[in-house]
Amino acid sequence: MANTLPGASTNRRNFLGLVGLGAASLAGGGMLSGCSKEPGTSGSATNAEQAAGLVPTFKDSTLVQPDVKGVRPMADGYLKYPTSLADAVSEKAITSGKPVTASTPWWGPAPPTANKLVEAVSADMGGTIQFSIQDGNTYGDKLNTMLGARDVPELTCIPGWEVDKLARFSEGVHAIFEDLTPHLAGDKVSAYPLLAGLDSVAWQESVWGGKLMGVPFPVDAPFPSVLFYRKDVADERGIAAPTTLAELHEFGKKFTNADKGEWAFGDIWLEVQQICGAGGSENGWLKTADGKVVHRMELPEYKQAVEFMAKLYAEKLVHPDIASSKGGDVTTLFKGGKVFMYATGGGSWKETWRPAVQTNPTFNMQAVKVFGAEQGKAPVRWKARSAIIWTFIKKGLGQERTQELLRVLNYTAAPFGTKEWELQNYGAEGTHFKRDANGTPVTNDLWVKEFANQYIFLGGRPPVVVGGPDIPTYANDFVTWGNDATQYLEKNPWEGIKVETPSSQAALAKPTEDKITDVLRGRTPVSEFDKIVSDWRAAGGDAARDFYAKVLADNGR
Amino acid sequence: MSADTAIRPRRTSLRPAWEEKPTLIGQFGKGTILTLVVAAVLIPLWTVLVTSLSSEKTINEAGGYVFIPREFNPSAYVVIFSGGQVTDAILVSTFVTVVGTALSLVVTVLAAYGLSRPGTLWHRSILFYFLLTFLIYPGMIPSYLVVTGLGLKDNLLALILPTAISAFNLVVLRAFFMSIPGELYDSARIDGAGELRILWRIVLPLSKAVTAVVGLFYAVGYWNAFFNAILYIDRNDLQPVQRVLQQFILAGQSPTSSGTAVAIPGLGSTMPPSLAIKMAVVVVTIVPALIIYPFIQRHFTKGVIIGAVKG
Repeated sequence: MANTLPGASTNRRNFLGLVGLGAASLAGGGMLSGCSKEPGTSGSATNAEQAAGLVPTFKDSTLVQPDVKGVRPMADGYLKYPTSLADAVSEKAITSGKPVTASTPWWGPAPPTANKLVEAVSADMGGTIQFSIQDGNTYGDKLNTMLGARDVPELTCIPGWEVDKLARFSEGVHAIFEDLTPHLAGDKVSAYPLLAGLDSVAWQESVWGGKLMGVPFPVDAPFPSVLFYRKDVADERGIAAPTTLAELHEFGKKFTNADKGEWAFGDIWLEVQQICGAGGSENGWLKTADGKVVHRMELPEYKQAVEFMAKLYAEKLVHPDIASSKGGDVTTLFKGGKVFMYATGGGSWKETWRPAVQTNPTFNMQAVKVFGAEQGKAPVRWKARSAIIWTFIKKGLGQERTQELLRVLNYTAAPFGTKEWELQNYGAEGTHFKRDANGTPVTNDLWVKEFANQYIFLGGRPPVVVGGPDIPTYANDFVTWGNDATQYLEKNPWEGIKVETPSSQAALAKPTEDKITDVLRGRTPVSEFDKIVSDWRAAGGDAARDFYAKVLADNGR
Repeated sequence: MSADTAIRPRRTSLRPAWEEKPTLIGQFGKGTILTLVVAAVLIPLWTVLVTSLSSEKTINEAGGYVFIPREFNPSAYVVIFSGGQVTDAILVSTFVTVVGTALSLVVTVLAAYGLSRPGTLWHRSILFYFLLTFLIYPGMIPSYLVVTGLGLKDNLLALILPTAISAFNLVVLRAFFMSIPGELYDSARIDGAGELRILWRIVLPLSKAVTAVVGLFYAVGYWNAFFNAILYIDRNDLQPVQRVLQQFILAGQSPTSSGTAVAIPGLGSTMPPSLAIKMAVVVVTIVPALIIYPFIQRHFTKGVIIGAVKG
């Protein structure tokens, strides 16, 4: 479910990405807001055992040894660009000569239709993909119409958070898209070796109704949020990164100086919950040691987080633009030294750091090493789902065409260190990029105009963390941080089960979130918190608990 | 208080109050209020303009929007016009607006005229049919099926035909046409004029103001429309300017509507447009409206008043 969270910050520039099932579901704390499912949707869940039997047999497709090995599910890091690239796909993927139609999302100005990058990949692939690149922000509206009218291209790329909002998707997926089980299940995937290199958990999450329906795009890091701070400024002022909740509060007081237009924090609500130890990776739900299914809102740790966050707002340690209901452009505030710490997805690390060093060479954005509320008390890290986007193949195209399309997806799943990966990510050498002295591609303006992650979204790819000469420590910083944080990852008992929450319970999410936001920001006293939770339980929270508990029981967990 | 003072008029002047010279306080008060109103309109426009002409460094230092200009840096404009996308979009929107407005006016005037004349074949039923669209919207998926079924996908006509007639505008025009005295029609007929000549020579010259207003409604609608483009236009060189504007403005924002800032590595633009570029696109988009509006405003006010007071 796509979720909103109380106090979540708006991230205007660094974009990207967001969320997903995984990330969003976690982040939302089980507040399943924004869903437009039809009334009466009663909820559903796949059978984990059944799904596990369909998963393609994993075969590592990595060709280049990483410089920093990631502790799974953290991706590997590469500090340098490989000097020699492998040719992962020797045969042409498209042999019929018939152009492939595809629809992919993009969060930015759409690239031109006449596109040299697409032409370059087409030449290597043996045929053209005619992309319909859709604005990611309005893609849901388009999908609703396209799927309703059953007018889809041969390859349809659908982000997880849109899947969650599409009414009756779990039924419709079988009517509109091809069942890939006969082509990919188990060892059958060997015909598409690069697809076999995609994460098994992501594949498991690609099963609807006992059938393998889509090709997943696995997430790079399993963390829905990371706590970032301005290490350059902190070092300059001699202030260390916090290691307890009390130190976090101190950090806020030391950095806030309203007279100078400086506030310590953007939104750090997601992080505060995890620091306090409030788990709930499955839409906010978790199973306690004594076997009870509870929502994170019912935990004392969550209440502690609410009280702490309310204190930060009350003491005006959060930037006023962020504290206002619409939120502010936290990335710009962070880069401009108006805010010194905020929480957002790991994906924005590079997107924020890289342009910032162009105007401020000393800018150093670092992730705060994961810590618990007190010394010796372990935090919890929510675990995002592995698949955040799926590509579906249109139903009824015939076996040969379906296999041809799978070869296309196999091509687009080429890993880092291959010619195919480079071509799809950077375009053609001399046209879209040139190499620096170390062989690293340096892209030009044409690439900026023509690149829209078209191919990357289509076929997934084994995720990697790659920096660049302008941010040489990035890959090491990210993977090292992630490897440390991985030890605190919460075990999600629903993992591998595709749970669709009943719409009546999902509808509770937004109003409850809004009430909690009011508490955090001081519009409602903290003493009202218990009543908000009891109201939520009475209005459907308890029913949701029964639903989630039943899903576990049905799967023997 | 004596009876004498009670009946004495408070003012001695015979002129109405609004023709009196205002008091100093009154003048100051009015001036202040008007200044605030003008500031409320101009400050955002000014901020957008200044930000569009600022460098990334200035924007970062300002923590976002820039109010006090520190430099003149037109690079954002160079970027958006060198890409070709904004230029294409302006041409597309101009075409859709001009052709769409012309087509809409022709069909709306013809329909309104026909439906305004008593005795037109089935005019009540046809009018009812038009009015029904006020109440019943066909729905997105049926509309999509019709438009794609007609082969209009990736065709600019898909941005014009589905919205070519607005029942509201039709009713406004029809009501105005009905208010024209019947004697004018009769005398024209006696002189041998047919229906089209009456419409062209008698009715339209009398309806300039209301036609201009309806035309403006249509033009603004076509210029601002973007949802039909989401549904029907996939080709990037056929996108209207509002859609391109939206892509620039929202680039870098979360794909969910929640504002949840949880980014996923690997997703999204590696070079999100800077705030300066976004603001430059905003400037480029509003310029045509700023230029055209003052010329039409005269008719606009007049036409609205006519529509409002005609019984």
